[in-house]
Amino acid sequence: MSALAVDIQHVVKRYEEHVAVRDLSLQVPQGSVYGLLGPNGAGKTTTIRMILDIILPDSGSIMLFGQPNTAPRVLDRVGYLPEERGLYKKMQVRRVLLFLAELKGLKPSVASPRIDEWLARLSLSGGDKNWGDAKVDELSRGMQQKVQFIATLLHDPDLVILDEPFSGLDPINAQALKDAVLELKRRGKTVIFSTHIMDNAEKMCDSVCIISRGEKVLDGTVAGVKQAAGARNIALSIAGGAQNGAGEVLRDPQLVRKVDDNTNFFEIELAPNADAQVLLHRLIQAGARIDRFELMQPSLHQIFLQRVGAQGVETGMSGHG
Amino acid sequence: MDKIFTVAKREYLERVRSRWFLVITLAVPALMAVAFMLPLYMAARSSASTAVRHITILDATGAGLGDRVAKSLMADSSLTSQETDSIKPRVFAVAAADLAKREAEVADEVMLPEHIAGYLVLTDSTLLGTSARYAGRNASTISDMDKLQSVIREQVMMLRLEREGVRQDIVGDLAKTRLRLNSERLSERGRSGSGVSGLFAGLLVGVLLFMSIIIHGQNVLRGVLEEKSTRVAEVVISSVKPEILLAGKVLGVGAVGLTQQIAWLGIGAYLINFLAPIVLKGSTAATVATSAAGTGSASPITAAMGSLSPMVLVIALAYFLIGFTFYATLYAAAGSMVNSEQEAQQAAVPVMLLAMSTWLLVNPVMLAPSGKLAVVLSWLPWSSPIIMPMRMGLTSVSPVSIAGSMVVAILGSIGAIWLSARIYRVGMLMYGKKPSFAEVAKWIRYA
Repeated sequence: MSALAVDIQHVVKRYEEHVAVRDLSLQVPQGSVYGLLGPNGAGKTTTIRMILDIILPDSGSIMLFGQPNTAPRVLDRVGYLPEERGLYKKMQVRRVLLFLAELKGLKPSVASPRIDEWLARLSLSGGDKNWGDAKVDELSRGMQQKVQFIATLLHDPDLVILDEPFSGLDPINAQALKDAVLELKRRGKTVIFSTHIMDNAEKMCDSVCIISRGEKVLDGTVAGVKQAAGARNIALSIAGGAQNGAGEVLRDPQLVRKVDDNTNFFEIELAPNADAQVLLHRLIQAGARIDRFELMQPSLHQIFLQRVGAQGVETGMSGHG
Repeated sequence: MDKIFTVAKREYLERVRSRWFLVITLAVPALMAVAFMLPLYMAARSSASTAVRHITILDATGAGLGDRVAKSLMADSSLTSQETDSIKPRVFAVAAADLAKREAEVADEVMLPEHIAGYLVLTDSTLLGTSARYAGRNASTISDMDKLQSVIREQVMMLRLEREGVRQDIVGDLAKTRLRLNSERLSERGRSGSGVSGLFAGLLVGVLLFMSIIIHGQNVLRGVLEEKSTRVAEVVISSVKPEILLAGKVLGVGAVGLTQQIAWLGIGAYLINFLAPIVLKGSTAATVATSAAGTGSASPITAAMGSLSPMVLVIALAYFLIGFTFYATLYAAAGSMVNSEQEAQQAAVPVMLLAMSTWLLVNPVMLAPSGKLAVVLSWLPWSSPIIMPMRMGLTSVSPVSIAGSMVVAILGSIGAIWLSARIYRVGMLMYGKKPSFAEVAKWIRYA
């Protein structure tokens, strides 16, 4: 395994009334795209803020590139796009960017040409108006988001952390963001983003971590997570329906936890520790004519609902919005 | 550490570039100059006018008091002016029986336009030192009446002294007595300007310091609120510690304040020196000196500026930085607690009260710059930055006291920074309802 960009060990953050993050450990390999998934209030933003040393954990350790995140200059290698975006409204775009780059230790002489480059690339300059010389509040919301995105990447960070980057983006900008993330990955950068849109995470991430109520529910590579979860679901078609013994087999709690009965088609969730092969064998023994027996890989969305739904969604923390 | 300067640089440049900075930097000295010039101008205007010579005296005393008064008025140097030297009071000796008739005639004369200002009636009761009467257009001009009254009183006294047999030359000598109290401040450093110019200097320093601290303290509050409400704070805090952001902001805004102070002093001094001769044109220097300052020097303002020694200015600027740091960090804490301009007004009330309590006590301190109140206030960290430089302008303060109060003020500022940094750290990332005092107390304990 390659070196770790982020290594979080047993981090705890308590607030007055509740525990925001409970004994969380996670590792993000360098060069990967990592999704931090969870319903609102799960502790994603708190975790991200702790990685960035914006807030201090009560206990546990956080290492970035093998150094504590409190080490001098280590945060200069990180670019951060917060969920709540904003810039100095009365400042010139170029000056805001220069300021934020300088805070990351970039010299103005280095930052200036890069700003021109980025403004041109995101078509904020070169047209009839060079928005770099305009004040931030003269820009449309979409343009401001572009500027914020430039600010995140201007110092060419090795680790990019995006908190809910897709919220408020139109489809075109959302696609542009996906492309940008993949380009960062190609260049060997590490990207962590939090989201509750599982579709994006499934397409873009190498690894994910699902957290709920401040606790890690599961983590691993997307393929691994799906494989682990996937073996529990079976799509079954029986010609003529579940007659005779077949119905009994499907009602056996030792084998089947849940079945969605559509007469000829069944969606089955295996009971814990049950083996799909045993189920297949028993069905054939019961004389069922099987048209289809498929081990399903559920989508991340389904896994999320399955694993988090029981806790998070029940208590009104819906997985979206 | 270099990030502090990055933050400070942004604060400084963005503020200095703004149109408001230019307006305030130019407008305040102009207003100050007007505020200082106006009383001067009024003082110049309100010294006894030459109208007191343009009168008719009806002398019913039979003792020549009218002539004496007229002569005395003409001899008064403070009424000298080229155009009006030719105007003399007319004196008519009248018999007591004719007085009523003559008075009616003269009264008619006063009512004619472009004629005498009024008439004075001197009777036996005047000689007894009881009363005299005056009627005229300038009867409600206090300075004219004061002048007239003092001249009459003086002449009655001299007449009676003569009658009592005091030698003529002694009386004449007494009449020439023009006692003037020239006040001069003495300190360890030697003579340093007049008492009155010291008062100006003290007030000038106090007003400037108070205004700057409040204006720029509130600028810090507004800046913090802007960063919080636009949410730019989170990006910035992901690059620098909140303490650094706070320190850089206070430093940057403080530098703006310092720039403004120096500009104010410079422009103010220039305007006053440039405007003074224009405003006071027509009134003689002597008039101004007697009425406004009593120093005999050309202008009390220039004297006031002069009495601010470079040392006092340097110490005043140092106090500005200390006092500004104290208030600005508290304002920053107030700004970090809230989400809107309205809430900020409320949150800033305790800070404002602290500043106002000092301001309200400026007057008593000016009247008794070495009194108990003044001494106590110059040791309290929230009032010493304003009171101490003022006192230094008003009286002499021992260097030990200055150094001591400065140390206390610096310690106070450090305490304010410590307190504010803790509130700020938590407050900057807290959105939603305004925290209660109990909650803020918790932030301070846990941050």
